[in-house]
Amino acid sequence: MNRTRWLYPLGVLLVLGAGPLDALARIKLTTLPVRERVEIQLDHPQIALVEEERIVPLVKGVNQVDFSWANTRIDPDTLVLRILPPPADQPLDAKVLSVSYPPNETALVWAVAASASGAARVRISYVLGGLGKDFHYRAVADRDEKALNLAQFLRVNNNANEAYDAAEFWAGVGERFGKPLGLSETKEVQLSRFTAVPVRKTYTSHPVEFGYLDRAQDKLNVPMHYVIKNAGGALGKEPLPEGKARIFQDDGKGGSAFLGEDRGKFTAPDDELKLYLGLARDIAVRRTVDRNERQRIAGNLYRYDVTLKYEIENFKDTPVTLDIAESVRQIRDQIRGDSGRDPEWQLGDGSLRSPDLEKSDADKLLFHVDLPARAADGQAKKQIHTLRLTLNNEW
Amino acid sequence: MTSNLTVRWLLCLFGLLLPLALPARNVDLATVPTRSTVQLTIYNSEDLTLVRETRVVTFKQGVNPLQFSWANTLIDPTSVELKFRGPKAGLEVLDTTFPHDKPQMLYWNVHSDANREATIEISYFTSGISWAADYVAIADADEKTLRLESFVRVRNQSGEDYENAQVRLVVGAINLVEKIAELAKVPVGRIGELDKNEYRDMRQKAARKMMAPAAPPAPMMMAGAAYDAVAEMEAPKEIIKEGLSEYFIYTIEGTETVPNGWAKRLRSFEAAGVPMTVEYRYRSREYGEQLTRLYWLRNDAASKLGTTPLPDGMLRVFRANGRDGLSYLAAQNLKYVPIGDKIELNLGPDPAVVFELLKQKVYRDNLWFQIKGGNLYRKLGEDGFKLELDSQVAGWDEHTVYRQKIRNYTRKPINVQIRREYAGDIVFRSRLNPTLHDFQTVQFETGIPAGGKVELDYEVIARMGYNQKQSRVELQAGDIKP
Repeated sequence: MNRTRWLYPLGVLLVLGAGPLDALARIKLTTLPVRERVEIQLDHPQIALVEEERIVPLVKGVNQVDFSWANTRIDPDTLVLRILPPPADQPLDAKVLSVSYPPNETALVWAVAASASGAARVRISYVLGGLGKDFHYRAVADRDEKALNLAQFLRVNNNANEAYDAAEFWAGVGERFGKPLGLSETKEVQLSRFTAVPVRKTYTSHPVEFGYLDRAQDKLNVPMHYVIKNAGGALGKEPLPEGKARIFQDDGKGGSAFLGEDRGKFTAPDDELKLYLGLARDIAVRRTVDRNERQRIAGNLYRYDVTLKYEIENFKDTPVTLDIAESVRQIRDQIRGDSGRDPEWQLGDGSLRSPDLEKSDADKLLFHVDLPARAADGQAKKQIHTLRLTLNNEW
Repeated sequence: MTSNLTVRWLLCLFGLLLPLALPARNVDLATVPTRSTVQLTIYNSEDLTLVRETRVVTFKQGVNPLQFSWANTLIDPTSVELKFRGPKAGLEVLDTTFPHDKPQMLYWNVHSDANREATIEISYFTSGISWAADYVAIADADEKTLRLESFVRVRNQSGEDYENAQVRLVVGAINLVEKIAELAKVPVGRIGELDKNEYRDMRQKAARKMMAPAAPPAPMMMAGAAYDAVAEMEAPKEIIKEGLSEYFIYTIEGTETVPNGWAKRLRSFEAAGVPMTVEYRYRSREYGEQLTRLYWLRNDAASKLGTTPLPDGMLRVFRANGRDGLSYLAAQNLKYVPIGDKIELNLGPDPAVVFELLKQKVYRDNLWFQIKGGNLYRKLGEDGFKLELDSQVAGWDEHTVYRQKIRNYTRKPINVQIRREYAGDIVFRSRLNPTLHDFQTVQFETGIPAGGKVELDYEVIARMGYNQKQSRVELQAGDIKP
């Protein structure tokens, strides 16, 4: 008798005419049908559904099928017994009559009626606590950081106090796979592998989201991200579930260097997965409010002309694109305080005039600025950019 | 009778009985007539079960003391009643006595005008027996039909075994003044301290709803006899559903044995191939700030249902995965569903449908000023209006342009219904053919093909301050310029 069977004894009492009270009988003969197949459905975000298939010998009449579980967190209210259709040459009609729940036991007794003696293939489904999953990723960028290989892993954590000698797993994404899962074991498998995925390395300044490196000197943080679009090639067919991503880069010597790790958010198809790489120290962005003029329209109604100035230096020896993001509401609040109303604004004639419309809205503005590599003499050329805004109808 | 029987029924025979004397003797002789039938009527809305049991008793001519005791059970002592089922004439209860030193016991003095055998019925309320409905819904892989199974689960924590009992379940809420479980703990002598009128009312109300006259309980069979009698395959017991007044009674076919501490679950009905539809809804008040996927079906004959209202109960939803397996979708507490009404199964958000609302633009116009804090109001831009220093913005129209983006990554076209609620004096401008769900709630719908996406533009104009003349949403057809 292996452990599985002892932990989940599915017993069929070969006593015809047995009512529920007979489960109290001291002397009984029980057969123990083994698991023929186990499927573990992990497609629900929080819940693990286990499905066991067993061949249960039944005799003509009413049979008691005992199911008990010790020290596991089976939710007994979710237990479903389904009798699968019999083979055509072995017609056996079986039906569940009732379920009895004995007191102070983690067990139940199905009363199953059978039209003839024979074996019935049944599926028992239940929600099992303690069986968790998480996803994680391994991304290896190529040398020039234009593409990466992304591997998606599933990790199944078995704290359910039950072992499965062979189980088929389905995580809701990727392929189904079969593996044994031992007691208190964690099993990790690679679900998918996406090769040569185009990646965009971004450098972003956003005072609200990423803050300042040095507030007194008006120096902004410039975080770096790898941005992968969940589209194209093998990607885009399914969402990428939330999970930790470890990021590496090909070192050009047959190995890879660890760049960092981030927690990737749930990414629907066609959306972008952003992985934070850390702060870029070779790109300096100073942001100042260069101009703030108020003009009265009537009574207490004003218009504000605001100019933000960005002094940008790229100390890298490669050209990069800097994403400058702003919250107009935060700018308004900074220059005149929060009125509680959404700002009404127009872009002025600063150097930043063409926001990325896909990624901008009533509050957020995003501009892409190309920065050349530092010069051959090692000097970084300082670029000045301005964002001019008119804030209308403020009071 | 089971060995742990706790309700004891004693016909006390005393050789030297004095008329109307209580059997306060140190030496007693008793016979114990067994139960012939027992019927349980269980109310799921309250912790209340009406027990009716019959026993055959032999009376001698004259006064016969009967003792009824219920140690370690949850019987309401004041509810115990004795009736004579046959013969009805010639037998009379002279009095009922609750002895002061034995709290869970009473005596009846029964006068018989002749030596005879009689069938008596004892009824009482007990707590600790409950029933609850629960459901399992398994949608087909293509989500066009589902299989709905309904169960009833009877749980016995009353302290008493009920063998081969006819079980009737009452669907519907009754009114009770006190809880039986509380009354069961109160000594009989102190129940009088309770408000008697209220208590009597409660009893009468409960009694009126006893669904009397009861169907004659089935004769008691030896345990297991039902199974021995199986000639063909035993079918699941039918649960007969009958409507009565505002209630529904489920009567479980035949008899059931539910020992103390046990629970038993029986199938109430099952329906396969029940037509269903899938709909996506955004209604923040009902479903929270998320697009919610719903299964819809109807409790009617056309949907292969409709034989009974669906009592409150936990419903678990699965979907067949096309490989003999299931996916667990959701569990929800189903509220009572009358016959003919629709059934809504809330599956929560669907990761395959992306629902995003973008605020695209905000602007204000139609600005009005209050001049010098007085009753004079002037509109900005009006002829003759000057830049008065001492004037305040008092009214304006706030325009907010939205784009609702929905992407459908499922393999099927979907239908999405959106309700948005706006407080104040609002104009809702769009080409979406919206309707008003109520005075401040706009509703619009769209279909999205499999793998497709839609962008729905609309503008909300809020008339604020002095400009607010109404509190309602006005629908306006118009183009939106983001």
